[in-house]
Amino acid sequence: MSSTAQRLHSVLDRLEEGFMALALAFMTIITFVQVVLRYVFGTGLVWSLEATTYAFAWLVLIGMSYGVRTRAHIAVDLFSNRLPFGIRRAMAVIVSGLCLLYCGFMVYGGTMFIDGLFNLGNNARDIPLPRWLLTGIMPVAFLLLAFRFLQAMRRMLAQEDKDQVSKKALTPIGQEQKVKTVGPQ
Amino acid sequence: MSAVFLLISLFVCLLIGVPVAVSLGLASITTMLLFADQSLLSLAQRFFHTMQVYPLLAVPFFVLAGTFMTTGGVAKRMINFANALVGRFQGGLAMAAVLACAFFAAVSGSSPATVVAVGSVMVAGMLNSGYTKPFAAGVICNAGTLGILIPPSIVMVVYGAVTESSIGHLFMAGMVPGILLTLALMATISVIARKQGMPRQPSVNWRVTLRAGREAIWGLFLVVIIMGGIYLGIFTPTEAAAVSAVYAFFVALFIYKDIGLSDVSKVLTDSAKISTMLMFIIANAYLFAFVLTTEQIPQAASEWLNSLGLPPWGFLLVLNVLLLAAGNFMDPSSVVLILTPIVFPIAIEMGIDPIHLGVIMVLNMEIGLVSPPVGLNLFVTAGVADMTMEQVVRAALPWLAVLLSVLMVVTYVPAVSLALPAWLGWGNG
Repeated sequence: MSSTAQRLHSVLDRLEEGFMALALAFMTIITFVQVVLRYVFGTGLVWSLEATTYAFAWLVLIGMSYGVRTRAHIAVDLFSNRLPFGIRRAMAVIVSGLCLLYCGFMVYGGTMFIDGLFNLGNNARDIPLPRWLLTGIMPVAFLLLAFRFLQAMRRMLAQEDKDQVSKKALTPIGQEQKVKTVGPQ
Repeated sequence: MSAVFLLISLFVCLLIGVPVAVSLGLASITTMLLFADQSLLSLAQRFFHTMQVYPLLAVPFFVLAGTFMTTGGVAKRMINFANALVGRFQGGLAMAAVLACAFFAAVSGSSPATVVAVGSVMVAGMLNSGYTKPFAAGVICNAGTLGILIPPSIVMVVYGAVTESSIGHLFMAGMVPGILLTLALMATISVIARKQGMPRQPSVNWRVTLRAGREAIWGLFLVVIIMGGIYLGIFTPTEAAAVSAVYAFFVALFIYKDIGLSDVSKVLTDSAKISTMLMFIIANAYLFAFVLTTEQIPQAASEWLNSLGLPPWGFLLVLNVLLLAAGNFMDPSSVVLILTPIVFPIAIEMGIDPIHLGVIMVLNMEIGLVSPPVGLNLFVTAGVADMTMEQVVRAALPWLAVLLSVLMVVTYVPAVSLALPAWLGWGNG
């Protein structure tokens, strides 16, 4: 990988993280301010609810691919971990293929969704922006997700050449059960 | 036919290691394309709209509040307080571990997070005081499940969102079962401790207890804000979650001063990551539930169950078995999302209260968290206590009896869940 490509990657990574932190902070503060305004000043921001829900959608959509990179997504790999190496490798390719198929469906559906909104041309309810723009992140996010799945597959295939006995590194997308993110389950 | 295809494709995807979220989405999309005339457009639309479901906004806020509380030394203060309260009894440190889990559950909506927060301190403490490792791990692993029963609870938020039940009502209904389970675990420890002559902690005077309590109160006040605010109608559960996140930020930064401003961005990124992972699963599980409904699978299941002529208590038993089985293979939020569309209509028809049903489901999910093969708490405990999975499974197993007895009581005595909300005038709905 050339250094320019690497730099591009790290910029992309940094952007993802920064965006997610900002989106969450924004949602929390806006919702909190709304409560304060209502009880202390008896007013409110008309656009706050809609802005929060769109920020949430963007957060989740951008965060999906971040989750692939940091191996945060939960996958059941009890069964696949006990198979011989070659078969596991083949299965990992199949798994990546299925993930890409999923992304393909969503990119296609998302594009049609945006196209429909674009033709309608109306604005969001309270935010003075066209709906297609606010929703337009969807196909982009699933393209990004597909890119991350491909990256994960490549990483896994490359790792195999270096280390024949490595059993842990083979989960391309899902995270190992033992280091599962301590999320609210 | 479509139902069979849907389930088989889901299981195949899960088994070969496709991430849970993608498995749910892919199985739903392919079933839709093959058997129903739904377009990819309408599925994409649905996916996007799930992320705009207002009650679900509480999920990232509760996660954020919990992360602030975990990062700051809240757990440690709660452990001190719990220890000051019950440490003096025989087996006191183990009882304190349970109590600390219950306290921490009141600031966190997650069970694995509770295990980590309390377990990382308490397992070592119990070993130093002469408890065996399996005993310590078993206690923490099971008491950690309180995280999703005692409010706030992410799983309850999800259940409330799908069934359009009041989340505040659900939270209130989880209180008494949560306290009951805490007491049941502590009583069991006490019995075992007396039999095996387990150690006590030095008893402390009331002044020390009071000081420990005053230290812990800032954390515990979080649940008061949430429940009080919702109960008094000051804010919605979603707003309560946001307020509690801001409160947790202030407590961690300015009162406990455990973290600095520079740590905030990491807390935000971590919380965003956890919420995203959950929401990605939830959004796909909504697609799955949508396919179930359009293919009229709940109706078919309901007819089949009716043809069996089960009485309500029989249905509840079948429900428990089904939920326990499902909870062993998937995380609680997914199970709730997938099974609720099927069991909810049947339960309502049988006259089971929707809130009561929610508490039953959450308790079942708790048990799923500590039973093999995919019990999340087991994995987390293995990490915290430095044991193998097999050892943790064996250590946790005896305690399942306690959880199952409480489940039976909660299942067949609706008043345990419903009396408190009813007494507070929170009628049905």
